[in-house]
Amino acid sequence: MSDFLTIKGITAGYGDGPAILDDAKMTVQEGKVHCIIGPNGAGKSTMMKAIAGMLPLRKGEITFKGENIAGLRPDQMLRRGIAFVPQERALFPKMTVRENLRMGGYILNDDKALSSRIDEIFDRFPILRERADQHAGTMSGGQQQTLAMARTLILRPDVVMFDEPSLGLAPKIVREMFQIVRLIADTGVTVLLVEQNAVMGLRHADWGVVLDLGRTLFEGPSAEVLADPRIQELYLGGQKVA
Amino acid sequence: MEQIIQVAVLGIGLGGVFALMGAGLSLVFGVMRIVNLAHPSLIIGGAYLAYWGFRIYGIDPLIMLPVCALVLAATGVLFYKVFFERDAKSATYSEMTVLLTFAIAMIVEGALGAAFSNTQRVTSPSYATDAFFIGNVFIPKGQLYAGITSIVIIGLLAAFLKFSRLGYAIRATTQNREAAALLGVNVNMVGLMSFAIGIGLAGAAGALTSFVFSFFPAKHWEWVAVLMSLVVMGGMGSILGTVVAAFSLSIVAAFVGTWIGSTWSTMTFFLALFLVLLFRPQGLFGEKPELV
Repeated sequence: MSDFLTIKGITAGYGDGPAILDDAKMTVQEGKVHCIIGPNGAGKSTMMKAIAGMLPLRKGEITFKGENIAGLRPDQMLRRGIAFVPQERALFPKMTVRENLRMGGYILNDDKALSSRIDEIFDRFPILRERADQHAGTMSGGQQQTLAMARTLILRPDVVMFDEPSLGLAPKIVREMFQIVRLIADTGVTVLLVEQNAVMGLRHADWGVVLDLGRTLFEGPSAEVLADPRIQELYLGGQKVA
Repeated sequence: MEQIIQVAVLGIGLGGVFALMGAGLSLVFGVMRIVNLAHPSLIIGGAYLAYWGFRIYGIDPLIMLPVCALVLAATGVLFYKVFFERDAKSATYSEMTVLLTFAIAMIVEGALGAAFSNTQRVTSPSYATDAFFIGNVFIPKGQLYAGITSIVIIGLLAAFLKFSRLGYAIRATTQNREAAALLGVNVNMVGLMSFAIGIGLAGAAGALTSFVFSFFPAKHWEWVAVLMSLVVMGGMGSILGTVVAAFSLSIVAAFVGTWIGSTWSTMTFFLALFLVLLFRPQGLFGEKPELV
């Protein structure tokens, strides 16, 4: 495919357990929103963790800008411009919003640059400026998710990965989250995300990747994936989704 | 009224020293999930260092304090490398450290006893037995200096944690180890550094202790339960909570000791611990445990 980010033949699992992912792949286009969907246990989160370097790969190829990055640690991925927000949002609950953002730029090790980048984030997400000195753990779920996503932008990454950003949020807030995802993509950042709610995810994405039993069933432009009859079969055994 | 002020003053002096003792313990638990039962025995180690520094070279224990802190911090690095590093990923790490540090406490006690005998010691710079009077309120200089020094050190620790890059990393690791690693924090290095700082604080507390209390190698058993109760009350891993608990309980204990009888003053800590566990099990400043 393109030589931006290539992900193919991914096989991974936890510990000595069975392979959760078996020969999964996905196509990534620069600057687009990619949504990985699939039924429970399909391996969506596992795929994301494997790409982010949180799980060792048993097999597979991940190359980024021509470099083989399979098997790197998450912080090494970060230095190369790939940021990841795990499902648990990964905030520091007793640090303020500003301190959380500072931690986002920990590897920058440059106070001045960090402060100005935090200001940029505050310009883009005014709610975070309003809450700058509040402990992250005391904010609402939506605000916490906003902070977790905004925090990845401090390092000006090329690729951001969000594992179920909608988890535990009210429908109205979920829509806001997807607006933020779109805003991020509009600045040229490539987004990979996992979504439990397939319809919701595909509606807000450009590209859909369907996983089942650890393998990539098929992928394509999200409108096409959404219309594909295989989706309905996969989710509800032939009944209509949503 | 004078008596109330008098007792409160004595309580605050002791509270400072206990706060410093507990702060190191709390830091080590917060970052590493190590329940360090050997902490008080290392405080005694620091006390001996200050004692001999004074006895042999006539160095004031307050001057010896940084030396004690550095020597103990180095010991901390050694202990961490030898005992604590390799099993850090085990699911039962905290439980194992209880047994391990219990053993270390006994070994440290034994070594100190073999080297320095079990005689009671106390460092006796001139101020240790001197006092101020404000009106009729009697302020022992030793306790006053020890209390002030403790507060200064705790203030420096707080500023370090709040503003320095390593401080950020330590706090982040305490609150969410995985997320900190994800953002590029070397959590193993942070663990080592916090362990060294925690044990270094034990050394500093030892230097102060050496002229506030008389001590002997087995004295640490008296403190371990009190310090553990402070850490649990404060909220496991919350340094602020530990410090608040240390001051408030030391003051209460001083009143209990004066009005009810000194036998009961140590009981204050355990009664308070009992009440906290009953009504606020996560501790004063702890996170409510999630019911998963």
